[in-house]
Order: sequence, then C-alpha cells, then structure tokens
Amino acid sequence: MKLTITNLSAHLADRQILKDVSLSLLTGKVYALMGPNGSGKSTLAQIIMGNPAYEIPNPKSQIQINKKNILSMKPDERARQGIFLAFQNPITVPGVSVGNLLKTAYQSIHGKKPKGNGVVANPALSVWEFNTLLVEKAKNLGIPQEFLGRAVNDNFSGGEKKKLEMLQALTLKPKFALFDEIDTGLDVDALQTVARTIMDLKRQGTGVLIITHYQRILKYVKPDFVHVLVNGSIVASGGYTLAKDIEKNGYKKFIGNHSKN
Amino acid sequence: MAQTSIDPVGGYKFGFHKPENYVFKSRKGLSPEIVEEISFHKGEPDWMRKFRLEALEIFYKKPLPMWGGDLTKINFDDIYYYIKPTQKKAKSWEDLPKEIKDTYDRIGIPEAEKKYLGGVSAQYESEVVYKSIQTTLDKKGVIFLDMDSGLAEYPDLVKEYFGTIIPPHDNKFAALNSATWSGGSFIYVPKGVHVELPLQAYFRINAANMGQFERTLIIADEGSFVHYVEGCTAPIYTTDSLHAAVVEIFVKKNARVRYTTIQNWSTNVYNLVTKRMRVEEDGVGEWIDGNIGSKLTMKYPSVYLMGKGARGEVLSIAYAGPGQHQDAGGKAVHFAPNTTSKITSKSVSCGGGRTSYRGLIQVMQSARGAKTKVVCDALLIDDASRSDTYPTMDIRTNDTQIEHEATVSKIGDEQLFYLMSRGLSKADAEAMIVNGFIEPIVKELPLEYAVELNRLIQLEMEGSVG
Repeated sequence: MKLTITNLSAHLADRQILKDVSLSLLTGKVYALMGPNGSGKSTLAQIIMGNPAYEIPNPKSQIQINKKNILSMKPDERARQGIFLAFQNPITVPGVSVGNLLKTAYQSIHGKKPKGNGVVANPALSVWEFNTLLVEKAKNLGIPQEFLGRAVNDNFSGGEKKKLEMLQALTLKPKFALFDEIDTGLDVDALQTVARTIMDLKRQGTGVLIITHYQRILKYVKPDFVHVLVNGSIVASGGYTLAKDIEKNGYKKFIGNHSKN
Repeated sequence: MAQTSIDPVGGYKFGFHKPENYVFKSRKGLSPEIVEEISFHKGEPDWMRKFRLEALEIFYKKPLPMWGGDLTKINFDDIYYYIKPTQKKAKSWEDLPKEIKDTYDRIGIPEAEKKYLGGVSAQYESEVVYKSIQTTLDKKGVIFLDMDSGLAEYPDLVKEYFGTIIPPHDNKFAALNSATWSGGSFIYVPKGVHVELPLQAYFRINAANMGQFERTLIIADEGSFVHYVEGCTAPIYTTDSLHAAVVEIFVKKNARVRYTTIQNWSTNVYNLVTKRMRVEEDGVGEWIDGNIGSKLTMKYPSVYLMGKGARGEVLSIAYAGPGQHQDAGGKAVHFAPNTTSKITSKSVSCGGGRTSYRGLIQVMQSARGAKTKVVCDALLIDDASRSDTYPTMDIRTNDTQIEHEATVSKIGDEQLFYLMSRGLSKADAEAMIVNGFIEPIVKELPLEYAVELNRLIQLEMEGSVG
C-alpha cells in the first residue's frame, strides 16, 4: 500500500506552514523526515492524521491511500484507514485508563461496525484476547503492567509517555505509523527499545515515518529514505547517507539553498 | 429490635381494614378532601392524617422558591396526587415512547426489568432474590419495608422520627410531600448490625418506591452500617410531571449510612427532592447522588453533623443535556466539635444544557476544630452549554479549616483530536472524556451502576452530537 502526499500546502491562522509538499510512503519501509525546529515537520504529521486546526487552501493538495483521497476524512476515519500518529506531546485524558483507551481504540479500528444502532459492536477480539495482547506488547516495551490501569498520559514522565505512544502503535497495528519526535526525552536503553519496536513494525509490514531533528535514533533504525524539510518545503531527499551528512554538517546548506518568500 | 406495639386495626381512625386489590385514584388537583381520602384509603393513624393536613396548609402558604430553576410552569392542579400502584401497570409496553424503548434495548436490559422500569409492570420479578435477602435481614432484626407498610407495622417508631429532620415547613415541596406522600422505603438497622449487601429499592415486592411523592426514612442505630441504593441508570419513564420526594436519615453514634441515588427520570419531569441526614457522635453519613435525567432537578443532599467527630460526605454528579437544568450540590452543617465534611461535585453540560452547583457550608460556634472541603468541577462540552456555581459559606467560629476549589473546563480540541486519531468517533471521544471526568465519583458506585452509567453517558453524547 502507498500513502501519497501531493502538493500539500497548509496555513494556520494566516501563516503558511507547508508549501507544496509531495512525498510518499510505502508499507514495510522506514522513512526519516528531518529538519530544523519550526520547519513544519509536526504540522505535516498532524495534517496527515487530520487535525482540523489547519487550513488547506490549495485544491490541488491531496493525501491518498492507494487511489483513495483521505483529505476530507475525519481523524477517526483516517485511523480506520490504517494511519497512526505518535504525538510529540501526548495529551492527558484524566480518569481514562491506558487499557480502556486502547481497548476502545482497537475495537473502533478493527471491529465491525455495529448493526443498526446498537452500542455493542461485534468485538474484534474478546476482552480476554485483547488483554493478553496488550500485556504482551507492554512487556516487550518494558512497560510495567500497572501503567495500563493508570490514566492516559497523566503523571507519567516524558520518556514513559513516549513509550506509551509506542505501545499504542504496536497494539493498534497501523498500516502507516508516524512518529513525531519519539526520540526526545529517552535514555539510551529506552531509545534502543523504541528503535527495536520500529523495526518490528516494519517487519510486520507497517510503513514508518520517523520525524526528528537530529540523527540519534537513526543510528539504531536505518531509514530506507530520508527527506529534509526546511521552511515548509522538502529541500532534499536521499538515502541514509543524507542523515549522516546532516549529523556532520547540520542544516546550514539547506537553509542557504532555500529561497524565503 | 424491640417490637413496637402493633395494633394495625385499632390504630386507624376508621377501624378500616385495607381491602386487597382495591383500586383508587384521586381526582386531579389538591384539596383537604383529597388529602383526607389518601389517608383514609391507606388506613393511616390519626396523627398521620393530621400531619398531612397541616402540611397541606403549609404548602398553600409557602411561595415557590425564587432561586434555582424555573418552577412557574408546574401546574399543581393538573396532577393526580394519589394513584394506587396496582393501577399504574394498566399500560402496555407498546404505549411507551420509542426513545425509551430503544434506550432499554441499547443498554441491554432484560425484558422483565424493562417492563418494570417502563412502568408497565408494578413488580420487578425478583421475588426469589428478595425473599432470601428478606430472610437474612429478618434474622438480624433489620426492618426493610415500603413506607406505607412501615407505618402500618411500626407506627410508634415511625412517629418518633417521621418529619423531624425535614419538617413540612422546611420548603414548599417538603410540605407537598408531607401532605401527599406514598411509597418510599422504611429501614431500621439495630445496634451493631452491619448489612453487608447494599439494600436496593427494586428488591422490594411492592415497587411503590418509584412514586411521585415517595418518602424514605432510615434509622441506623448505634454502631450499625447500611448502604441503600435507589433508582437506576436506565431512564424511568413516567407521564407524571412532578417528583417531590423526601428522604430522612438518622445516623446514630458510631453508625455509618451510605445512600446512593442514580436519577434518570424522563426529561418531562420536575425532580425536586429534599434529602437530609442527621449524624451523631463519630457517625458517618455519605450521599452519592447522580442526576442524569429530568427537565429540572433541584436537590442538595445535606448532612447535619450533630455529635462530636461526626463526618459527612456528599458526592454529586450532574449531567444536563439539551433542555435540561440540573441545579444540584450539597449542604453540610457543623454543630459539634471536630466534625468533618466534604462535598465533591462534578457536572457536565452538553448541547445547551445547564448545570448549577449550589452548596452551603455552615459551621456553628459550637463546632470548634471543624474541617470542611468543597470541590466543584464543571465540564462544558460546547459553547451553547452553561454552568454556574453558587457556594455559600457561613462560618461562625475561628477554629476551623476550610477549603474550597472550583474549576470549569471545556473539552479541548487537542483532547478530541488525540482520541479521534485513535479511531474513536467524536461522540465516543467526548463520552470517554466525560466518563474520565466523573470517574472519581463513579468508582464509588456499585459495579453494575458504574458500567451502566458509563454506557448511558455514551448514548447521551451520541444523541446530542448526532
């Protein structure tokens, strides 16, 4: 499967953030989206997921899964199409446990829609099966089982929140997973666990986009492709060597090359 | 307990023995004659007849409260004040409004229970369960009857307590209830007895507790414990437009009473309830009060802390959807030293609904070392909805510790986007946020109520969004 972004331009409160961005992701591949702070990386991820806060004025802008345009879809519909976003700043939901959120999410994405107007849909997995799955995935990530009963992103450390985003990605089995700065705030051990998990996802056939402004995580997950985003435009694309070049020389030459409007 | 003198026939003014299957429906409207008729048909002692008539006079004299919600549309002349319960089931399942039937189906309520809730059947088919519970209670000396039977079987005990913490002149609706009451529960727990299972109103054979003007009296003697649960999460459909109940609870020294209510009247009902607990030395009184249904609710469960070291707690949840106004909260009045109280209120307004927190904390001069804490949090789902806070504090001693916290929040776009990115529809995401918001109170409910309440909130959110 292929996720294709074509001529994507985006505004937030009259400020243009993305300019004619085009790129595509294939399932089973790992991509890195690099760029300095404020270049529009997070915006791109938010728009792929369907955040309604952004305006997309250009009628030529498209986001497609295979041939299906998903640009008019709501975030939940996009999730059901197989898109997942790990948030840079995961949002707190007081009183809702991690387990409850994931059970509901799994059912929403993988369960059959209920017939008529019944509340209880045909479950994709029984409660028992789902719990077994969740506990196993948590164990793989070194997340204490006790965390599953605590409220979503409430009183967790930065690193723990990132791991919980990772747990969601693993459990929900997306076709395309976007990781927005999943590497910040992680110690080396956690970073390696996250990297290993991304490789697991890749092996399962998920297309992965790693958004980062530095190269640290890419030592552990070798991307198949690297794109560089500066001032809302893709200014360079290439293989892993591009990431290594950025580590050495920074973004200077890309910023210089890019004409500001 | 010591048997009170029981002489059911001799105690009645008319020496009248209540015939079985007697069907009686009063005329619409209120008058001393109608109140006399009610008392006559119930075969009550003379003191109760007089009590009712005096209450009626008070009802006539008292003005409607000028605060709270809009009560001007209540037509007191267009109400049947007494219908014998047997007549209430003369209605078929098919007559119920479609929304109500659909909701029962969607919550997944068993058929027998549905008919009971819908008012089609006056009896819930749980007689077997009821009987085994009743046997256990009998062995411990616990009395658990409907209020009418309580008065008939234990007139002296009832007379000692009835109307003493909520006298008819307390407010107009307490007066109305005092004049016209029917049904409700009567509970007496003897000294030192702990009732392990929650007593639930619908385990009683006579299901008159769902009446319009029910009256409940609970006496927990020294060192005893009881948890009483009334109402249910499924919507209670009634064509009656006014529900004015009175609940009086006596918590003796070292005793503890927890009273849980989940109110989900259909949205044509004015729900105006007076609830009060009197807590003696080192006793604990707890109200858990959930209001989901009704057109207007005005209800402020109160704890009167009379003995030193007494504790009182009110947990209140209110949900107001389109066209609804929930004016709810709690009151704590400290009379004795080292008494503590806590009021926690969580309200949710949605689709133009309105919630108000109204509370009173009063600490008398005699209540040195009293501690009180009020926390009220309001959640607004959209811009059309409204929430207000009316806290009153009247503190007459310096030696006291008072905390008050209030927050109003709106469901954030970020929270919605986050949950929707996990595949949840907007309605499901909102319901999840709401359920998370009320979770600290819901976890205090018996499990089946908690589960049903969560599902119900989800249904309400779907309805208000779609």
